[in-house]
Order: sequence, then structure tokens, then C-alpha cells
Amino acid sequence: MLRYIIKRLLLAIPLIFGLLTLIFFIIRLAPGDPAAFFIQPGISPKVAEQIRAQYGLNDPLPVQYVKWLASVLQGDFGRSFSRAQQPVIEVIASSLPITITIALLTLVANFTFGILIGIVSAVRQNSFLDRFLTVTALFFYSMPEFWFALMMIILFALKFPLFPVSGLNEIGAEGFGPVGFFLDRVWHLVLPVTVLSINGAAGIARYVRGSMLEVIRQDYIRTARAKGLPEKLVIFRHALRNALLPVITIMGSSLPFIFSGALFIEVIFAFPGMGRVTVEALLARDYPLIIANTFISGSLIVLGNLFADVLYAVADPRIKL
Amino acid sequence: MTKAIERAIKRFFSIVRLPVSMVFVGVALMLVSCGGEKSDGGKARTAMDSTLVIAMLGDADYLNPVLGSSVTSGNIIGLIYPSLLQSEFDTETGLMNYVALEKKLRPTTAGQAQRSPQGAIAKSWSFSADHKMLTYTLRNDAFWNDGKPVVAGDFKFTYKLYGNPVIASARQQYLAELVGADKGQVDFDKAIETPNDTTLIFRFYKPVPEHLALFHTSLTPLPAHRWNKVKPTEFRNSPLNIEPLGAGPYHLKSWKQQQEIVLESSSKSNLPKPGTIPLITFRVVPDYTVRLAQLQTGAVDVVENIKPEDFTALLKANRQIDIKTVGLRVYDYVGWSNIDQNEYHKSGKILPHPLFGSARVRLALTQAIDRESIIDGYLKQYGVLCNTAISPSLKWAYNDRIVPHPFDPAQATALLKAEGWVPGADGILQKNGKRFSFTLYTNSGNARRNYASVIIQQNLRAVGIDCKLDVQESNVFFDNLHQRKLDAWMAGWSIGLEIDPLDEWGSDLNKSRFNFTGYQNPRLDQLCNLAKQKMEPTGAKPYWLEYQEILHRDQPVTFLYWMKETQGFSKRIEGAELNISGSFYNIDDWRLRPSANVAP
Repeated sequence: MLRYIIKRLLLAIPLIFGLLTLIFFIIRLAPGDPAAFFIQPGISPKVAEQIRAQYGLNDPLPVQYVKWLASVLQGDFGRSFSRAQQPVIEVIASSLPITITIALLTLVANFTFGILIGIVSAVRQNSFLDRFLTVTALFFYSMPEFWFALMMIILFALKFPLFPVSGLNEIGAEGFGPVGFFLDRVWHLVLPVTVLSINGAAGIARYVRGSMLEVIRQDYIRTARAKGLPEKLVIFRHALRNALLPVITIMGSSLPFIFSGALFIEVIFAFPGMGRVTVEALLARDYPLIIANTFISGSLIVLGNLFADVLYAVADPRIKL
Repeated sequence: MTKAIERAIKRFFSIVRLPVSMVFVGVALMLVSCGGEKSDGGKARTAMDSTLVIAMLGDADYLNPVLGSSVTSGNIIGLIYPSLLQSEFDTETGLMNYVALEKKLRPTTAGQAQRSPQGAIAKSWSFSADHKMLTYTLRNDAFWNDGKPVVAGDFKFTYKLYGNPVIASARQQYLAELVGADKGQVDFDKAIETPNDTTLIFRFYKPVPEHLALFHTSLTPLPAHRWNKVKPTEFRNSPLNIEPLGAGPYHLKSWKQQQEIVLESSSKSNLPKPGTIPLITFRVVPDYTVRLAQLQTGAVDVVENIKPEDFTALLKANRQIDIKTVGLRVYDYVGWSNIDQNEYHKSGKILPHPLFGSARVRLALTQAIDRESIIDGYLKQYGVLCNTAISPSLKWAYNDRIVPHPFDPAQATALLKAEGWVPGADGILQKNGKRFSFTLYTNSGNARRNYASVIIQQNLRAVGIDCKLDVQESNVFFDNLHQRKLDAWMAGWSIGLEIDPLDEWGSDLNKSRFNFTGYQNPRLDQLCNLAKQKMEPTGAKPYWLEYQEILHRDQPVTFLYWMKETQGFSKRIEGAELNISGSFYNIDDWRLRPSANVAP
């Protein structure tokens, strides 16, 4: 298995470099100019030119590429154009903790509730409970996140002011003491995490239900029941483990999400996370930041897939890597 | 084998148990925190009583006057740093006034806020008779926050930074009249002299009107003693940028990037005085709907640029909100390419545009568009019909004799017919086999322009013109505009408080970067240049009146409407005076009513 993992990791290196090279050229060929902000009345036409010179955009494209490659190979992704020339690694490092906190909370809630609901609706197939859960899950699954988030704000922050509208902390939260500050943070996270997990759990529940139904009809489940095992044991020990195989794929593909952030939720709840960093970088044509973000999400997709494959092998002894 | 499976299952459940328990802990914490919030409510309320919260769309870029170029940066820099002069907009005349401690450019009128001039570093100034030398006398009791005095050398030091091409300051245009600028490089030794700590002399290579000289020499200074070791190449990356040392009514308390900037009143400041409100928090709230909701719940006190369609609901939901308006500085227009851009890009030749090349056709287009109905339907009392590029707020120059072109489809049809445009078989106007059909472009994400463009499309269809609509991503749209690639578009323009329209309408299309229409009129160039030679702005009034008549006659674009900026304010703010030069113009004088006095 170790050999397999190393081989896959080695294969990923040219893949990610190819991806970065492609992005490097695509964003430079796309219309728009990182210095466009400085082309406005009252600002000397020289400024945009000087800014471009600072960013090294006046060199021919191949020269820019070689320079960029040299610095990336030394682990330097450059400085952001749009965020006061902060090193892009710092920009990303400052938004990652927030994104990861939200994403981990969401993923845990997603899979816990998703799996539980999925099992219940599969075991009680076609019962009222199953139908109710199915309809509810579909209802939430098909709801656009940003709309759902706004509705939650209207309901729980405006009509019944239980939670704050947005932000990570109250004004003056520093004075609450460490426990108070932490609780204030949790209080601010309730709405966004709820929105994200209801949407996600609904989807996962559908997967689990489907695969659970398939597994329950297998011979070995009948055998387990026939030998008199309690139903709880049959479902959780024998059926669930096999039913979870497709869910593992989803788990693997969720890894990039942990780091890439949830744009709409970040914008609506005013969290400075990765989703906003990425989109703002795109809009400002902040080339170094776009490339660094692509690097992170590209690597994570590769790693996520690898992670899912390894999990397969762990969960299913028939698969040998 | 079975043992192995059992182990795996146990491992699985031990993995699952952790998240399940975490969720339960989370829920428990949530409940506790809801309760806990109440016990912290008292503290939160006292914090709110001493804190003004302003919602902002994006974070500040630099809190450094040489580099900061976003509106948020400008607002915050104005509170942190000292300024040489105080500038005030006089609503009665529409002129800018510049005020030093003991001298004013113009006498104060009723239209000008009665602010104490204590914020100015300059005690007084004298201007030479040949309009080429400006001498400031500075006060000697102004200090940076670290206790060192603010001296003339700080200004000279910072002007060198403003003019350094490596630093690429967006304000280097302000140095355009200094000695040496005509030869491409400001000669700082001759252009700015500091014989002692309280005397600052600026020299210009040509005669400059006094108001312009004052405007261009009053750029914000940096403390030289703190910055003099920073190399120009490292200036933008310097860590000093995130710990600004100022002298104004506030200083930076904390800056959580992309989240909030907290300013604290500087108790020792005498420029003009410590800010009345102890803390000002600028919070980044990128989503418009959420900014509104925050204003409604009282989580923020000020939200800028509220859309007119939201006023009723907002005021109904919370009576403690006030809508304040200021303007008029911004207008929307429909641009018509006056020249055939294809030919211009190919051969450099200037030929009239096949559709919009004639002033009569453009006039017909203006008359075919029901501008009043756009105002009534969207902007309501916050919109004013726009005739030309000079704002009614600049009263001294505004031509109030101009009669707006009325909405008159019949007259528009007649004008188009006189130009040879007659209805074809499909009902669309034709001339020499060419249909009157084009695409009107606008930038994405602007509800007001979307609303207006649909009305424009219908209006034009009614006179037999086929107008297709297309929305482009903002970067792409403005790129196309700058390259003069679009035939017709809708965009906006924000005017400066000094009139200088050559960039927008000048005939030299290479120099006039913002003349997107390609409009050319030598008389207009002449008028702008004549106006520039006047040493007193009001002396140029006749030229500006004629300038407006020309624009009104030629209709290089269809001017749509001026918009008032509409800002939502919590009523707990007292003493806020909005000014065309900025919503936070006198923020250091604002006061907060304690929450006990605010009706629920």
C-alpha cells in the first residue's frame, strides 16, 4: 500500500505543475488588467504603468513564466497584488483557520446526520417516517445555499433575534474573557454551520439510503438474521459497513471543500475565509493569489482522491492496492 | 479474520463516536452560549455605547496616505493622520474652501459647515503675486502620537515619496505643477524648501490658481523620523504600513484583515481634538442584504449606499434609522460611439459611426428615452434629471438656463426620418439597407442599470430601433470601454469637485483616455483651456456655461440622471453632518446617545 501511495503522490507532481502552468497562461490571456484600478480620472496615466512594472507584468510572457517557475520551485508564491502586497502564503494562512473550523464542523454534522437519516429511512423503507425524511431531505437538498442562509437570517436574526446576523464576534467580545469569547464565537457559528450542514446532510442521507437498501437485500444479511443476531447488530455491524463504501468516495471528495471554503456563506455571514479570498482574487486579477489558491485546491483534489482510494482498501478487504 | 473485522468495526465506531459526541457538545455549548449571551449582555451594551460601528463593503488596502487608494482607506487615513489645511465644500456656491488656523481662502458663507480650523497644521500661508510660490507657516504645537513634533521636513519627505516612480503613488498627479515636473522629473531641492521647522515653501514652474495650489500642496504627510530608513523598493511591503503613526483625532487600535478595523480616540491629540466617540469600528460586511439586516438589528450604525427600493421596509422595521442623503456627484449615462471604431482601430482614420455618428440621431435617441420614468420607477426623489456633465451641486458653474430634452417619441421619429432612417418591412428603421440595430452593454451586478436598460430597450423599440442588451463582467466591460470596442453602453461617472473635463471630452483621443465615445469638438477643447488659465475659478463661469450648451446640443452621450448618495444612519448618532466631500466629514464630532435613551 505504501508503494501505491508513493507512486500516486509522485504522479501527482507533474499533474499539479501542468495545472499551474495552464492557469498561469489562462489568467494572463483573459481580459482584464491587475492595474485597471489605477486607470481612472485624476490618476496619472504613468501610475498603471509603474504598477505593472512593479508586478513584473511588462516582461514578455515566457520570461514571466520562467521567473515565476524559479520562485515557485523555491516555495515562493509571490506577493498578492490586491491585498497590500502581503505574501500570498500569509493571506491564505490567515483565512484558512476560519475556513477549516467551519468546514470541519460542517463535515462532522453532515456525515453524522446524513448517515443516521439514511439508515433510518432505509431500515424503515416506505414507512411514513421514510417518506417524511425523503421529502424533507429533497426539499433542503434542492434549496440554494445563499437563499436558505438569507431565510435563516430573516427568521432567526430578524424576526426572532436569537442569533447574530453575521460576523465572527460581537463588538467588544475581547472583554468577555476567554470562555465568553469562545462562547460568543460558537454563538456566531450556529447559523452558518446549520445552513451548510442541513444542505449537505440531506444529500448524504440520499446516498446512504440508496446503498443501504441495496446491502440489506444481500444474502449475508439474511444469513446474519437467520442465525439470530439482534437487528441492531445486523444493521450496524453487517450492513452499514458495506453501505458506507460509496459514502467514502464523497468523504474523499469533500477534502478540497474543507480548504476551499464556502463562498456564499462566507460572503453572507462576513467571514474572511478562503472562498472570499479566491473570488476576490479572481475579480481583482490578482495573479499570484489565484495561482496559489489553484495550487492548494488542485493538490487537495488529488490528495482527496488518494485518501478515498486508501479508505476503500481499509474498509473493503476485497480491494488490494 | 473475524477478529480483524471486529477490530475494524470497533475502530470505525470509535471514529464515529467522536464526531457524534462533538456534535452533542456543540449543541450543548450553543444552548449554554445562548444563556451566556444574556449575562454578557450588559458588557456588550456598554461596549456598544462607546463604539460606533460602520459597515464597509471591503477592507482598507493601505493605511498609508501615499499608497491608500480605496474609499475606506481614505476615510480612515483622514482620521489617523494630520493635514496641512482643512478643506470644506460650500453648498451655497459649490466651491471648495481651504482653511488654515488663521487664514481662509474665501470668507465663510452660510452654506459651509462652521468647523473650527484646529485640525490644520498650517497657521497661515502667503501666495506670491506671480502665482508661482506658496509659503506656509506651520504651527509649532502639533505632535505625532509618539510625541515628536510635526515639522516642515515631514511634508517635504512625504512629497518625495509621492513623486517616486518606484512607489507608484496614485497621487503623483498632485505634483504635476512643481518645478521640474514640466521636464519629466520634479526637482525637489528647488520645488520644496524647508528653511526651518515651521516654514514650508512650494515652487511651481508655471502660474497656478491659488485654490489649485492649496489643493495640490495639502497632501497628507508621514512622520519622516519613522519612515526615513525604509527603502523605496520595500515601501509597499514595509511592516510600518500596519502600524501607522499619525497625529489626528484617532489612532489605530487593531486591524483584523478582512474583518474589522478599530480606531481609538487619541486623548492627547490637538488636531483638532480627541475624537468624541471613544471607539470607531469599521466592519467588513460584503453582502448588501446582510448590511441592511445589521443596520436593522442595530449591530451596525452606518451603512452606505442603501438602494431606494429598500427604504420603506427598512424604516418600517426599525424606527431608529434615518436615511441621510448627499450629492450630487454621480450620474449614469448611455454612451454612443460617435466614431466608427473599426476604422479607427484599423487605419487610425476618424469617420462618423454608421448609427450614432450624427448629433441629430443622438438627440433623437435621447428624446426617445423616457428618463423621467426611470427616475420615478427606481430612484424616486433621490434622482435628478441630468442634462450635462456639470452637477447642479456646483452652483457657481451650473447652467440653469438649459431646458431638458423632453421625452418625445414623435419628435424622435421625425428627427430620425430627416436623417434617412425609415421603417423597414420588419418595423425596424433602415437606411441604405442597414438596420438600426445594436447591442447595449453594461456591467454586471448593478440592479439600477439593469432596470434602466430594460426601459431604454422598450422605449427604443417603440420608435423602431432594435436594441439588444448584454451584461459583461465588470473587468471585461471596462477593458472594452477603454479600448473603445463598444458601440453603445450604459455606465456612470463620478465627478471631481474641481471641473477638469478634458480627459472626458478632449479631441485628442490618445490623450483623452476617458473619451470613450470619440467625441471631438475643437471649441470645447478651447473652452477647457481658457478656463484653466483663469486664476480664480468663478472667472471661468462663462466658459463653463457655453461648455454645457455644447454638450446639451451635441449629445455625445445621453445623460440620464444624477443620483443622491443615500446612507442609513442609526438615530443614536448625533451631530453627523454629511457633506458632498464625504459622509464621514465631521465624524470626530459625532456623539452617541447611550442605549438607555434609545426607545426600543
